[in-house]
Amino acid sequence: MSAAVAPAGMLAFPRLKSAGARRLVYGVLGLSAMLGIWEIGTLFLHLNPGTRTFTTFGPVPTFEAFPVLWGQGKIQSAVAASGYRLGIGLLIAIAFGVPIGILMGRSKRFRELSNSPFQLLRMISPLSWMPLAVIVFAAWNQAIIFLIAIASVWPVAFATAAGLAKVDPAWFKVARNLGARPMHMLTQVILPAITFDVLTGIRLALGVGWMVLVPAELLGVTSGLGYAIRDARETLSYNHLTAMVLVIGVIGYMLDGICVQLIKRYSWHHRGE
Amino acid sequence: MSTGAASAAAAPAGADASLRLLKSKGEGLFNFFAGLAILFAFWWVGVYFIAINPATAQFAGFGPIPAFRAVATLWEDGMIQRAAWASGYRMGAGLLIAIAIGVPIGILMGRSRTFREVSNSPFQLLRMISPLSWEPIAVIVFAGWDQAIIFLIAVASVWPVAFATAAGVAKVDPAWFKVARNLGAKPWHILTQIVVPAITLDILTGIRLALGVAWIVLVPAEFFGVTSGLGYTIEDARETLSYDHLMAMVLVIGAIGYLLDSIFVQLIKRYNWTRAA
Amino acid sequence: MRRQRNDDHEDTRLDLLLDNPDVADGLPDPKLIPDDEFDYLGSALKTGVNRRMLLKAGALAALSGVLPSKGAFAQKKLDPVVKICYIPITDAAALLIAHELGYFKREGIDSERPTLIRSWSALVEAFQAHKFNLTHMLNPIPIWMRYNNKFPVKITAWDHTNGSALVVGAHTGIKSFKDFGGKQLAVPFWYSNHNIIAQMLLRDAGITPVIRPQDAKLAPNECNLLVLPPPDMPPSLASKKIDAYIVAEPFNALGEIKAGAKMLRFTGDVWKGHPCCVVVMHEADAMDPARAAWTQGIHNAIVAAQIYMAENRKETAHLLSREGKNYLPFPVEVVDRAMNFYDPAYYSNPPAIKHVEWQQSRINFQAWPYPSATKIVAEELKKVVLTGDRAFMDDLSPDFVAKDLVNYGFIKKALEANPKWRNDLSVPRTGDPYARNEVIVV
Repeated sequence: MSAAVAPAGMLAFPRLKSAGARRLVYGVLGLSAMLGIWEIGTLFLHLNPGTRTFTTFGPVPTFEAFPVLWGQGKIQSAVAASGYRLGIGLLIAIAFGVPIGILMGRSKRFRELSNSPFQLLRMISPLSWMPLAVIVFAAWNQAIIFLIAIASVWPVAFATAAGLAKVDPAWFKVARNLGARPMHMLTQVILPAITFDVLTGIRLALGVGWMVLVPAELLGVTSGLGYAIRDARETLSYNHLTAMVLVIGVIGYMLDGICVQLIKRYSWHHRGE
Repeated sequence: MSTGAASAAAAPAGADASLRLLKSKGEGLFNFFAGLAILFAFWWVGVYFIAINPATAQFAGFGPIPAFRAVATLWEDGMIQRAAWASGYRMGAGLLIAIAIGVPIGILMGRSRTFREVSNSPFQLLRMISPLSWEPIAVIVFAGWDQAIIFLIAVASVWPVAFATAAGVAKVDPAWFKVARNLGAKPWHILTQIVVPAITLDILTGIRLALGVAWIVLVPAEFFGVTSGLGYTIEDARETLSYDHLMAMVLVIGAIGYLLDSIFVQLIKRYNWTRAA
Repeated sequence: MRRQRNDDHEDTRLDLLLDNPDVADGLPDPKLIPDDEFDYLGSALKTGVNRRMLLKAGALAALSGVLPSKGAFAQKKLDPVVKICYIPITDAAALLIAHELGYFKREGIDSERPTLIRSWSALVEAFQAHKFNLTHMLNPIPIWMRYNNKFPVKITAWDHTNGSALVVGAHTGIKSFKDFGGKQLAVPFWYSNHNIIAQMLLRDAGITPVIRPQDAKLAPNECNLLVLPPPDMPPSLASKKIDAYIVAEPFNALGEIKAGAKMLRFTGDVWKGHPCCVVVMHEADAMDPARAAWTQGIHNAIVAAQIYMAENRKETAHLLSREGKNYLPFPVEVVDRAMNFYDPAYYSNPPAIKHVEWQQSRINFQAWPYPSATKIVAEELKKVVLTGDRAFMDDLSPDFVAKDLVNYGFIKKALEANPKWRNDLSVPRTGDPYARNEVIVV
């Protein structure tokens, strides 16, 4: 007796039990659907004689551009340059944002007084600072880092403050009773409690910083992802442009994923609720 | 012991309460202005140091006093009103489109696990593409600059709305659906009577986040094609090196953004029913 | 889930802000798993129609709209209305004045008010998407479009000549190009005659142009190049981030007035009557015999506008400026200086105008696209330092480019009808006015 073949219809699709496998398959499915829609869009561009020249935006020319750009080292150098600026910008945002957030959370006076100026500054579109940055900072890199930092500091600060607001005040009382000094309070009570929220804030800051990076790199630098996109646009090499845009999307996705993993790891105190 | 004494006791209590209310409102107002005053003081000091240095003296126009004067001038010229109107129109249209597309997608994501898992990777990828990279496509596809800018804003804002809606839907107590179905509710009823009211709070939070994103994207998007709007006036001030106009517009942008954000915070407070455990 | 309150007047705003990580993260809340999918669509319709049939019908409908009709493959039809896009620099003046003073109308052609665009890329994209049919572009851009991207364009005339300059910061003490070692020079666009001329000037002085990060070490004979948007050039100069920049007017005038910049050299004083921005049209518009009358009318209008501008400089400056029709959003003093201020006595230290006898001006309006100039541009593009991909130029001969890229027919007829164009002194006085030897004297 030969092994019975599943008699189900033509599309006998084995039910994937493992959640991980299913997620993988669905992920691939989703990306393929996106590629399909992209290709259809390119087809539209091709059919209209007025826009036929823009078919280089399509998936096939884009994927052809990858080996070229990688071979020339353009992707690597762009990622390194932009990564440096983004990294330093975010570090500065964290270095300023967390202390400010802790202050906001612990001191009512500070919070009330700083509320209106912070809200005002927060809602100033970061790129409006560009002309100021050009004048104040000696180096282009510094100007770009400033723009990223000033856009990203707010999510970090406010998330930290929110995290602090959730800390059970009883803990502070207990700590004080046990003779904890303010430094202990900070390191043993506050920081562990708010790590989760700070990470959420950093994740949001990453999203904002990523958004600001591309237009910020208009400023006089000749390296970086934003510059690479602009150069591709100016040489009308649209497939290079979409290739770099994909690189940006992928890297952003990865960075965001890292943040999410970190957040999940530190998500201990939410289960209590 | 008569109504007189009781009412006499009640009157001071009533007066007490309204006095406390007045005091807290007064405090709030005081803090609002005091905070801003401190900010402007810092600003003034910073520019003062720039102004006394002869090498950078020409940048004294960045200071608060020239900026405020410029605000008055620009207001009289009607520049601010026109720019706010033009930008407001683009923002509004872009956000409306983002909501119209984002909320249904979010509901789908929240209710259908298959859809969520299939769409997760492409959405996460598209979400992390810096919105201004879409500019060449916007220029090519859309006939007018206004439309291109609205597209950029919509593309940037749809993600927070969609994900917030999905999160809201996912948090709806599944028991409610069972109860509703037992009571004979049809899917349309379920949508309008249960899902939408339950997720309103999250949608509003999502729109608030979307507003923040759109605000970031609006200014650079307006650098390029148009001759009206807040981003354009900044670019204009930049080109003519009128720094006082520049700082004036920066202030105006911040103030308008603050106002819009506060509106949403009020809306969220209103819809904030806590979910009792 | 009761929230602990720190104190009485808790601001719930802090609670709401970024409090809930489940918001906007796109991941499933691990605490709740919703019901599986429910067939909303089918039950909503309540008929026998199920989802699959609906999808099929929708796809068919979409496809039938997509399938092109026979006509769609044909060439883009002629748009009889002239639609101009421009960058707000004085280079665009010819097209702007041609519309503003009704020269197109005189030829029986309708035109819309030109559209201001602030970036070359956006202008090129909009033009390629056929949103506009007449524009000005930096000379090298159509070379890229035609030979790298195979997009059919033709240069049909020159918009203007000269109109650019190189300024240095007052803090630098630069007196000549030999002093550029170790300095930072900004150009507006890699693919521009500004870049070409700047590098010509540097090489002539023995300086090697390079492209490096701002803080990289430079050898004493190297000069670092970077690209800046023109509006950022004066502030960058004033804040000492760059030492010099070369750009189209009116940003040099702006730099002089507001950023303490000193004029080092006018480009028109180095290369007599050089091209900068050229008039560009789609190949169909420029070559189709059925559209010839329309195209000829356009060029007649352009030449008429240029002659007007050459004879009425002050009025032109006023018309273009903010106080006029606001084509160039600058005050009239700036535009006036940018177009007309060319005093050798004023610009004597450092000597920005060495060839007074050429009798050029800060900007000149001469339309004949000399093939000899196009050849030089094509040649120099192979040598100039920039970051883009240039492999396609290897097989391009300058002679071929001069013949293939430029359409001389319409502009020649227009010029023959308007002999005043020869008043410009970059046109040869004797012999054939349509051919000249390029004069480049640093």
